Amino acid sequence: MTITVKKVSLQRTAADQIFLPAILRGLVTTARHFFKNTLTKGMGDVDTIRYGEPDVHVEDYYPERFRGVHRLMHRDDGSVRCVACMCCSTVCPARCIYIHAEDRGGDEEKAPKSFVIDELKCVVCGFCVEACPCDAIRMDTKRHMHPTETRADAVLGKIDLMKRGTTSVAQQGGVGADYRSTDPKADPRFEHDRR
Amino acid sequence: MIITLLANLRRAFGPWAALLLLPSLLTLSACAPDPNAAAEVRVQVEPGELVFHPDTPPVRVTIINEGQRPVPAQGFRISGNDWAAFSIVEPLNPRMVMPGRSMSFTIAADAPTFKGTAVPSVVQAEREAAEELDPEAYREGQAVLEFNVAGKEHAVPLRFEDPSWIITTLLPGVLKVMLLVMGFIMPLASLLLWQERKQSAMMQDRVGPNMARITLGGITIRLWGLLHIATDGLKMFFKEDFIPRRAHRALYTLAPVMALMPALVVFAIVPFGDALCYEHLFDVVRQADVDQCAAGRGGTPLQVAHIDIGLLFYFAIASLATWGATLAGWASYNKWAILGALRASAQMVSYEVAIGLTIVGALLVYGTLEPHALVHAQLESSWGILLQPVAFILFFTAAIAETKRAPFDLPEGESEILGYFVEYSGMRFGLFFLAEFIEVVFVSALVTTLFLGGWALPLDMFGASGFAAPWVAQLFFTVAGAGIAATGIAVWRASKHAQFVGASMLAIGVLHVCVAIYSLFTGWGTELPHLMVVVVGMLTWGIKVFALCWLQLLIRWTLPRFRYDQLMSLGWKGLLPLSLANIAITAIVVYALSAAGTITPAPAPGEDPATIANQPGAAP
Repeated sequence: MTITVKKVSLQRTAADQIFLPAILRGLVTTARHFFKNTLTKGMGDVDTIRYGEPDVHVEDYYPERFRGVHRLMHRDDGSVRCVACMCCSTVCPARCIYIHAEDRGGDEEKAPKSFVIDELKCVVCGFCVEACPCDAIRMDTKRHMHPTETRADAVLGKIDLMKRGTTSVAQQGGVGADYRSTDPKADPRFEHDRR
Repeated sequence: MIITLLANLRRAFGPWAALLLLPSLLTLSACAPDPNAAAEVRVQVEPGELVFHPDTPPVRVTIINEGQRPVPAQGFRISGNDWAAFSIVEPLNPRMVMPGRSMSFTIAADAPTFKGTAVPSVVQAEREAAEELDPEAYREGQAVLEFNVAGKEHAVPLRFEDPSWIITTLLPGVLKVMLLVMGFIMPLASLLLWQERKQSAMMQDRVGPNMARITLGGITIRLWGLLHIATDGLKMFFKEDFIPRRAHRALYTLAPVMALMPALVVFAIVPFGDALCYEHLFDVVRQADVDQCAAGRGGTPLQVAHIDIGLLFYFAIASLATWGATLAGWASYNKWAILGALRASAQMVSYEVAIGLTIVGALLVYGTLEPHALVHAQLESSWGILLQPVAFILFFTAAIAETKRAPFDLPEGESEILGYFVEYSGMRFGLFFLAEFIEVVFVSALVTTLFLGGWALPLDMFGASGFAAPWVAQLFFTVAGAGIAATGIAVWRASKHAQFVGASMLAIGVLHVCVAIYSLFTGWGTELPHLMVVVVGMLTWGIKVFALCWLQLLIRWTLPRFRYDQLMSLGWKGLLPLSLANIAITAIVVYALSAAGTITPAPAPGEDPATIANQPGAAP
């Protein structure tokens, strides 16, 4: 492979020294953008998403894996899916999830007595969603946490979180088409995991 | 961009685009000479009415033969009430006026005759015998200049009056200030507040301010965010008015006013039209009538201050603008502010030198400092941008530097949190901001006056009495109409919010084309009422100024800023030597041409070569 050296003259030409040709080229470029954007349909090259316009829903533009404000999913009977396993609060790097467990009664798993997320502390990493074994917590609302008047308003409890939730289609107890139906150890991606 | 425009035009009109060309084709066919023109006697007398004030020098009357054959002119006499007070300066013998030539003579008014103590004419004495006349006051007087050209009697009214200072100066002055400031500068400056943001957005492929809206009766008006002008103003008013604790309160308050005031005051010298004749608003007038009005007799020049030293006045006042910046920086008690103030004063002083010297070239060519006369001189020769292109570029550059905006925004230094108004907030800051935009408007107005022919349309196509010829009117209206219509359609298609505006523009454009077609059949366009001519002149001036404002914003958002040493070296080592060279070369060329007799130096004011010889007239 040969190395070629491109010699660049640092000597400024007369045209460079009076600036005007370069300035004119610059002006023509910006003027072209100006007229294209003002006089053509759909504002030419402007591809800004018009967030805030009445007929523009920003959710349509967010990717599927966008992480928004949390929500808690429901079971078929409308109760919370969460079994208070503490996975999410353990994995949370911001320590913003606070869960008090209670007995659900009968043979069933635990349930959260209170499930509190401090959205001001949340770093929106999405680890809680990944850690959740039973599809109880999700961040797929496609909504940002809205501004609040007091800090207390930004601390969401179980009722707030469940208000956004819907019935999850995943089968409770590991039956059904979810990732737990296959052995995680069989997945080569987990082979290096020493935990 | 032209291709885009054409493509839009084609898409919008489709096969109908050919229809737009139709008026132009018909126009060409209408240019055939009229066979009856040869026999017709067409004589024009300028001015249509002579107005004298007590200190008026003799006024020239010109008889122009616009026909095809020589006409005899004879029987010059003055009759009417006060015939004795007026006199024809030279003895006039009957003479022939050749086709395309003119003859002129001067009429003088003997002012003391009209004083109360002097013997008035018989009719006047009977009428006013009972009244006590102030011996020092002038009364009004009237007479008629009569003469006979080619067997046809012509009568030119002569009028003597001594209007009070209020009528001649104060009232028109106040009206013109209101018209200029409230009707043009302030709306345009506030428009620029929004345009700066919107235009920069459009140039950078952003949306820009567009959310301010108002809902009236269920209809939401947005107008591309034009209402941001109002919201910005409101914001300025309601912000905290902060004064630093150790600031010099009086100077701190004075500084924004000192920045704003010179920017407004310098507009006094800018002519935004030729002249307005009060009593001939709906008549067809000639250039001589307008000149008479521009001299203040029977009208007023469309310029707030008609002063001989016009441009020197501009330099004097514009230098005061440095005070605003310097005081603001010094009074703020802030080291960053005073650094900005130092930069501002150094920059403005440096570039003032360049500004002054670049104009000298234009002054050498046109031989006057008075902007109104400067525009007239441009109309008689050609526009300054053609005669002095180097001066145009140098002046525009230096003038942009004077406005302290990018790429010369070192005094402000947004990116360095440095600037003479760092401590200012609320409406005090708003005043600085507004002053900056008023300076932008002023620079545009001055460049228009000095280099772009002021209120005139190019190529002498539009004179004091209307278009130069019917086909010029048709061409103008066709081209302007097609341009406006095409832009309107493009705007209409550009977005849903703009449909109404686009449709209005389209309607205006179609109206223009209709006017062109009307002119095609009637020959309309050469004789327009005076008021319409004045309005067209003011509109032309306004469009030129607006286009230059647009250009300045384009430059401001295209070029990066200079470093401070680059700024100084551009001013002192670039613009200054170039403007000196421009002066030298212009002086040599002007001297050589005037020595060779190609051009004649402008006559000194007051020196009136009263000749009755046949002169090349204004007639075609």
